[in-house]
Amino acid sequence: MADAMAWYDSVIQSLRDHDIWLVPYVPDAAGWNVVSRLEQDPAFLTVPSAREEEAVGIAAGAYAAGKRSAVFMQSSGFGNTVNGLAQLAISHRIPVPLFIGMRGGLGEFNSVQVPAAQAIPRVLDALNIQHYAPDREEDVSKVVDGAIELCYAARYPVAVLFYSGLVGAKRATS
Amino acid sequence: MLRREALRALLDRVTTEPIVANLGSATFDLFAAEDRPANFYTSGAMGLVSSVGLGVALAAPDRKVFVVDGDGSILMNLGSLATIARMGPANLVHIVLDNHQWAETGGQPTHTAAGTDLAEVAKGAGIPHVAAVTTLEGLEEALDRAVAEDGPWCIVAEIEETGHGPRPIFNPEENLLIFRRTFVP
Repeated sequence: MADAMAWYDSVIQSLRDHDIWLVPYVPDAAGWNVVSRLEQDPAFLTVPSAREEEAVGIAAGAYAAGKRSAVFMQSSGFGNTVNGLAQLAISHRIPVPLFIGMRGGLGEFNSVQVPAAQAIPRVLDALNIQHYAPDREEDVSKVVDGAIELCYAARYPVAVLFYSGLVGAKRATS
Repeated sequence: MLRREALRALLDRVTTEPIVANLGSATFDLFAAEDRPANFYTSGAMGLVSSVGLGVALAAPDRKVFVVDGDGSILMNLGSLATIARMGPANLVHIVLDNHQWAETGGQPTHTAAGTDLAEVAKGAGIPHVAAVTTLEGLEEALDRAVAEDGPWCIVAEIEETGHGPRPIFNPEENLLIFRRTFVP
């Protein structure tokens, strides 16, 4: 049996298969495995954003003009997006696929990462945003393909959470 | 200069170009002046209108894209000016109608009433074409340049707050789909 693709290569393949073009992001260690490769790929335009809510706004604007986006961020900044998700994306029925690098779980070294990350599934539930977390490399394509398909069919944000079990825990740097 | 005069000056310079309007007064007065398919009324998410406009501008590089923002709103999202500067969309014209107050909530003075100069902030963020205007003639001249010349532009226009037009009833989802059809039939 062939080895599974690296998780980030599976994500990139799914983005490509679903005509995702614009990628607004605030960098994080997990998502950078994807975004750094997209930055070298002429099929994508990456948009480094100063704050996570901006990235949601940029993605919403691109959809309004007929283009598809995917937003990348770290769990610590997800809270910054809530107003943009509720009052822009959800209230206008704008599909925004969200890819969140989850800190605060197995192997976390920084205590302040824990509360925000723990709140995310419940905050997403409160916003009626479906969320999925592939935990094995061989499941990444199925989950990301399905999440993007669902997002655009429902015209509603959908979140894919990348936990340390899949992407590895960020290590403390001295 | 009144908000409705500023919006009229903008509307006189567009045909099918998209206008992305801030929630509240900018939306109400744009709707009252001319409810056109290429108007996107952001309705909520205060602060985000410039980000939405950036997304539209990146997605539609062949059209001039106009954003009508407010001082209270851009003060919530100053990082957006730096993001716009970094991406440098030549087709984006970001207009900030500065009434120095949070008009929707009772006219409390914003930071621009206390000295914050949004045109200088925009310059400092790296926006290459910035104009600060205080008269209708000044705005018309800045808009003529912004229509004719590559941007990104940020035009900070001081306006006198005298209230807004009637609050229109529309469905945000329907507005989005109508706007989107001007790009994707």
